[in-house]
Amino acid sequence: MGDVGRILNTARDAILANLTALNVTGSNIANVNTPGYSRLRPIFGAIGVFNAATDQTQVGVKVISIDRLYSKYLDAEMVRQEQYNAFSQSQLDILNRAEVVFNESAGGGINDQLSKFWGAWLQLSANPSSITERDNLVAASQSLASMFRQKATELMSIQRDTNTEISDAVTQLNGYLSQMADYNNKITQIEISGGSAADLRDKRTELLRNISQIVDVNYYEEANGQLNIYISNGRSLVEGENVWNLDVEVNPAISTNYDIVFADAPGVVINDELNGGKIAGLLDVRDTKVEGYLNDLSNMAATIVSTVNAQHASGYDLNGNIGGDFFSKLGVINAPVASSGNAFNGTVSLGAGSGYTGASNDKTFIVRITGDGTLATAKYRVSSDGGTTWGTEQTFPGPVGGPATITAGDGINLTFTVNTVDFLTGDSFSVQAIANARDMQVDPSIVADVRKIAAAATVNSDGEIAGLIAAMKNDTSAMGSGVTFDNYYESLTSLVGQDVLDAKNNVDHQTSVINQVDNQRQAVSGVSLDEEMLNIIKYQAAYNAAGRLCAVVNGMMSTLINLGIETAQ
Amino acid sequence: MITRVTDQMKFDLLNNSMATIQSKYNDLMEKLSVQKEVNKPSDDPGGMGKILDYRSAKAQISHYQKNVDSSKAWLSATESNLSSVNDIITQVKEMVIAQSSATTSPTTRKIAADALQPLIDQVRSLANGMFGNRYLFSGSRTEIAPFSAEFEAARIDTPVAATENGYAGTVSGAGTYTGATNKTYVVKIVAGGALGAATYQVSADGGKTWGVGVPPTVPLGGTIADIGDGISLTFTAGTFVANDIFYVHAYAPGYYNGDGEDLASEVGKDLSINYNITGETVFTDHVDDQVGIFETLDALKTALSTNDAAGIVDTLTPLNEVQNQINRYVGRCGTRTNSLDTSSSTLVEMDVRITGLTSNIEDADVAKLVTEFQMKQVALQASYKMAGELTTNTILNFLR
Repeated sequence: MGDVGRILNTARDAILANLTALNVTGSNIANVNTPGYSRLRPIFGAIGVFNAATDQTQVGVKVISIDRLYSKYLDAEMVRQEQYNAFSQSQLDILNRAEVVFNESAGGGINDQLSKFWGAWLQLSANPSSITERDNLVAASQSLASMFRQKATELMSIQRDTNTEISDAVTQLNGYLSQMADYNNKITQIEISGGSAADLRDKRTELLRNISQIVDVNYYEEANGQLNIYISNGRSLVEGENVWNLDVEVNPAISTNYDIVFADAPGVVINDELNGGKIAGLLDVRDTKVEGYLNDLSNMAATIVSTVNAQHASGYDLNGNIGGDFFSKLGVINAPVASSGNAFNGTVSLGAGSGYTGASNDKTFIVRITGDGTLATAKYRVSSDGGTTWGTEQTFPGPVGGPATITAGDGINLTFTVNTVDFLTGDSFSVQAIANARDMQVDPSIVADVRKIAAAATVNSDGEIAGLIAAMKNDTSAMGSGVTFDNYYESLTSLVGQDVLDAKNNVDHQTSVINQVDNQRQAVSGVSLDEEMLNIIKYQAAYNAAGRLCAVVNGMMSTLINLGIETAQ
Repeated sequence: MITRVTDQMKFDLLNNSMATIQSKYNDLMEKLSVQKEVNKPSDDPGGMGKILDYRSAKAQISHYQKNVDSSKAWLSATESNLSSVNDIITQVKEMVIAQSSATTSPTTRKIAADALQPLIDQVRSLANGMFGNRYLFSGSRTEIAPFSAEFEAARIDTPVAATENGYAGTVSGAGTYTGATNKTYVVKIVAGGALGAATYQVSADGGKTWGVGVPPTVPLGGTIADIGDGISLTFTAGTFVANDIFYVHAYAPGYYNGDGEDLASEVGKDLSINYNITGETVFTDHVDDQVGIFETLDALKTALSTNDAAGIVDTLTPLNEVQNQINRYVGRCGTRTNSLDTSSSTLVEMDVRITGLTSNIEDADVAKLVTEFQMKQVALQASYKMAGELTTNTILNFLR
């Protein structure tokens, strides 16, 4: 036996369920272009039992759950690929700028200027007493020095900009981390009380992608829905609602560089713990690649300066004087440092007239006391390679009361003054000299008076020294190991080009990998309008049918109600 | 294989492929507009290195070429002056033959002597010839006219202290020069100090090679008795600084004021050419077994003026010898000019070859580029058309 009311219930269930389903379809359609949206699918479930014998004959329908369709594996894959992509992309952006510095294809760069420089010496050797050729040489030399200065300055400015970008990225990351903790909190709250936090989860996954673009992270999801993020050495960034921010700290040795640290552990540098993502890419390009280019450039400038100066000093100028510096000595000498464990408590400073004449870009001299004594009796040795090899033992020249000056090498002198405690064996002092191409210039005394250019090997007017300097162009031992100056610069340009090409190839490769992963993700989670259209038809039809059922039941109920009513005769 | 295609996928795919085609399209446009394959190092890193190498080689070739040209011009001027002197000597020889015959009288000889003087002046003027603002025959002392009018005995110039010396005293020279050729002696202070303490070295070749001074320390009295070849220097009281330079020019007897140094210019890699002829080697008797031209001419003039027949005849052999000397060096000029011509043609050939090599790497194959460009245009158009089709075919068209 049936119950009209029960049929109505069934119809009502059907209408409501299909309405919900239509609603879900509507959400999908509305979000067809939302990035990171995972489509929702309503799951219908029958409720009730159909058993004619026991008079339970209602089977209704209900939307049991609304499932969010996504693939955990693909999300993780996407996060990983984003790290690689962001690493390569950040490198490409900076390297493109560095490539502009070394773009010699149109001419007018260092390659050209260097040729003009050698050519000017060649011309001078054929006409040594001519003031015109001398003026020409000074002009060519100044152009060369100015080009080195300009390129070094540009590279350093690229480094500084990279530095700023790193700091901005850290700030951005910290913002994301706070947001992540916020999502964790909300999702947990909503899901504990039984609700669905699908949209927040979508947003959280998108946020995770953004975070992994900045820093390479690992993550796992706890049972209660919270997402914990940590970096490669295991330290957490986000755990539930707790956040550990990153911070930037000025590098003590290089004041224009930032190091990455945790905000609550300053002094512990984590640069090496970051292997992917934008920050790691920028660090690598700043500290390894562009720094490498700058070092090579400075090496070349320092070697040109020291070898030209050495040859120049063996010649005579038009006034019969021995040649002085052609290029100003290239090098900044940092203040000498006394080791903290020294017994000697006097002062050490740069001697008068010190000027770094070496060719190396970055050299540290160490003076170590090998025999106790005073400023007149103590013995010492000097190392010019940071302590690997040591020179012969020498004695301090005194006087006992100080100041005493010794030579560390390459034109650097150290002056010691005594205080109350003399030298003890083992005391050590170090001094560092840095040659940066940014400072290369023709010596002002040459610019002021071109007669001071020493072109001659005798006090008369031959041009032999000028010829020897011009021949340095072909000298394969100049930059070490069978390489001329031109070759060295050509290798450097090729290196830059190759680095840029590698970065481009990486980015291309990564982009196509990410596209592929994204497609796979879309295939699982994306919205297809065709499909949703068909769903609309499906639910609409069911809705219509349920509605029709209602109408029929309504009619039947009317009949029932009007059963006992007499019709007028 | 994607089994389910969503709308985002379709649009993303189109987007990405259009971006790829656009970027290749742009790249081709850049190459076509400058007609070069390598516009930045990353276009061809290895090739970029080679291009720079070729460019610097070309620049060096052009500089060598300039040196070749200027050396050839110098040699040509030298040769022309030497030939002219040769012609004048021939004239003088005719005069000698004429005046040594028995039909001449003291009067004719006197007239001849007067006619000889302008010829001597002409020879001297040719021997003092210049190239630009340098004298052709002075050796490395190119700012001094090599030949003076009168015979001078061995002499020593006033010593010169270099302008930047730390020493504030004065230096003077004395002694009789005993050397056979003109030289420049240089004294260089090695370790500074006062008289009696400073050490020095001496160079006899203008400052190239050094020997220890004798005595090695500047004497207390300030006088170094003999720095070489009889030259003595005296210093007044003062403190020497290391690298102070003092030089003094010393001249052997004769008319010649230059020196005997060679001037060389680089005309190729490890290839330099000595382009000058010194007056000392071609016109004087300083060098072994040669004859001094001006000595001979002045002797002839004297013989003519004093009616010395034997003296006139005696000048014939030296005059022949002078012509031999001159011809020898004219020949040498010719040889050097020939080798310069060879260098020049080698340089030209290298230049052409390097230009070809550079072009192979750097220049774009225009035909190939244009073809690729057309293909990319078609691809671009196809992707635009696809984008248009994307929205025209949806299920919505078929649902009412």
